[in-house]
Amino acid sequence: MNTRKSSFTSALFVLPYFIMFMTFLVVPLVYGVYISFHEWDLLSSDRPLVGLKNYIALFNPDSYLSSLFFEGLWNTFQFVIYSVPLLVFLGLGLALLVNSLPAKLRGYFRTFYFIPYSISVSVIAIIWLWLLDTNSGLINNYLVKMGFDPIPWLTSMPYAWISIVAATLWWTVGFNMIIFINALNEVPGDLYEASAIDGASAWQNFIHITLPSIRPIMLFVVITSTIASFNIYGQPYLMTGGGPGDSTEVLLMGIVEQAFEQRQLGSASAMAIVMALIMIVVSIIQFKVSNSTKKRGANHAE
Amino acid sequence: MQNKTKTIFLVLLASIVAIIFLAPLFWMFSTSFKSDIEAISGGLNWLPQEFTTENYTYTLLSQGLNVPVLKWMFNSLFAGITGTLIIVFIDAMAAYALARLDVPFKKILLPMFISTLMIPWVITFLPLYMQFSNAGLLDTYAVLIFPYTANAFGVFLLYQFFRSFPKELEEAAHLDGANKWQIFTKVVLPSARPIMWTLGIFSFMTIYNDFLWPLVATSSPEMRTITTGIAIMQQGSFVSSYGKLMALTSIATVPIIIIFLIGQKQLIKGITQTGIK
Repeated sequence: MNTRKSSFTSALFVLPYFIMFMTFLVVPLVYGVYISFHEWDLLSSDRPLVGLKNYIALFNPDSYLSSLFFEGLWNTFQFVIYSVPLLVFLGLGLALLVNSLPAKLRGYFRTFYFIPYSISVSVIAIIWLWLLDTNSGLINNYLVKMGFDPIPWLTSMPYAWISIVAATLWWTVGFNMIIFINALNEVPGDLYEASAIDGASAWQNFIHITLPSIRPIMLFVVITSTIASFNIYGQPYLMTGGGPGDSTEVLLMGIVEQAFEQRQLGSASAMAIVMALIMIVVSIIQFKVSNSTKKRGANHAE
Repeated sequence: MQNKTKTIFLVLLASIVAIIFLAPLFWMFSTSFKSDIEAISGGLNWLPQEFTTENYTYTLLSQGLNVPVLKWMFNSLFAGITGTLIIVFIDAMAAYALARLDVPFKKILLPMFISTLMIPWVITFLPLYMQFSNAGLLDTYAVLIFPYTANAFGVFLLYQFFRSFPKELEEAAHLDGANKWQIFTKVVLPSARPIMWTLGIFSFMTIYNDFLWPLVATSSPEMRTITTGIAIMQQGSFVSSYGKLMALTSIATVPIIIIFLIGQKQLIKGITQTGIK
């Protein structure tokens, strides 16, 4: 009796979070699948069950939905492929740079590179919209002063992608740097001492000690950066409006358009669910690939 | 000697990189004190030729401007603070109970919470919109606060802390006749303050900076947050008024940078603790 009463009061501690968790996470998960099986017009109360029709339309090459989805997916993939390697390697590069500075300066530079991460994507996008303005933006002003032609950064290719990737790097690379700094500091110092006795160069140290030691963190950064890049929305929405043409119209923009401009929540939900599944599959592949190369190079580790 | 040259070179390199990171922010503040005409005329003045505060007075105080910028700021701060308080409190209770108390189904609950950290949020935002729509709560503070409280990140972060928290203090309080609630509020919470600050800063930044969700879930000018409001101004009446736009982005940025600088240590602790272990 006493233990039953005790576990009842213990359950009360979990209850408030549990209610939020169920209401705003579990219910939406189930409800989203339910919506995706319906023709769900936001303005109409008649929402007939259509089964897998929304999903079939997604994969029917002739449908509008399919072109919206796959063009968005392709543009999102491009952004992922351009941004993730830079986010990872520049993040690592900044971490190495900060760690090579005299100890009393490290904190300042770490803060300088990390500050943009604290700012909202809408502010970031508008600041870069201004810096990259064709006629009066700071960057073109300098180009013109140096005798170059102004570049239409946001309205032509490949500059639109370059601009979006640059703004994104500036915004979030500091986050990856923080993770790498922590990882570098946890590499056991005696590994370097041992290799110093062997007369190894800094580059050899980096390849044979640093990289294998931070390998799990590297994988973590690759996966989190990939997920973050998949979720891109604010930068193209505000900086290029999806243009030039539809070339930077990313998948999330397509989903929002289908849901709130076309008001078709059923097909938009199907798009969102397939997008999430693709993200999960990509993460699993990255994890598996990394693990299998780890086994092959297992003698490097430790 | 060679080492000294190397250090000077590295500090120089780091400083150039720092300029790249800080210059856009400096340019934003600088533009916000220029007239729209000076801004658009395309100079390279890092400081305004004619220093003016008209962008701030116009965006914050003008009757002519029919959008309530101060209200947006209030909405963002109110949602950020309220949401953060709720998150920190309910997450701390849940995490403590799961780490220490005899909660029924404990072995199922914790993995269930944590596994949702891997679910891409894109799945939930359309049905959440529909739920709030069904309840007639779109365009209210409810949409700006409650969806964020379901995130399992805080439970995960605090669970790790409470699990390694020494049991002796709780046992001593128990022997003194304190009940669970008293032990939690008087003994456990005070010692968890640093980690709760970490969660608090994370939560506040997430809510304050969020963009897509408040953009779709609010619609009236009075219920916009500052981050969505400025985006709407950029696409609307301020489309090329960069002086005024930069005043708006500066207003949105200053509070969050201050909070970031104050809470940076806690933030870094949170990133490294949950990311890696």
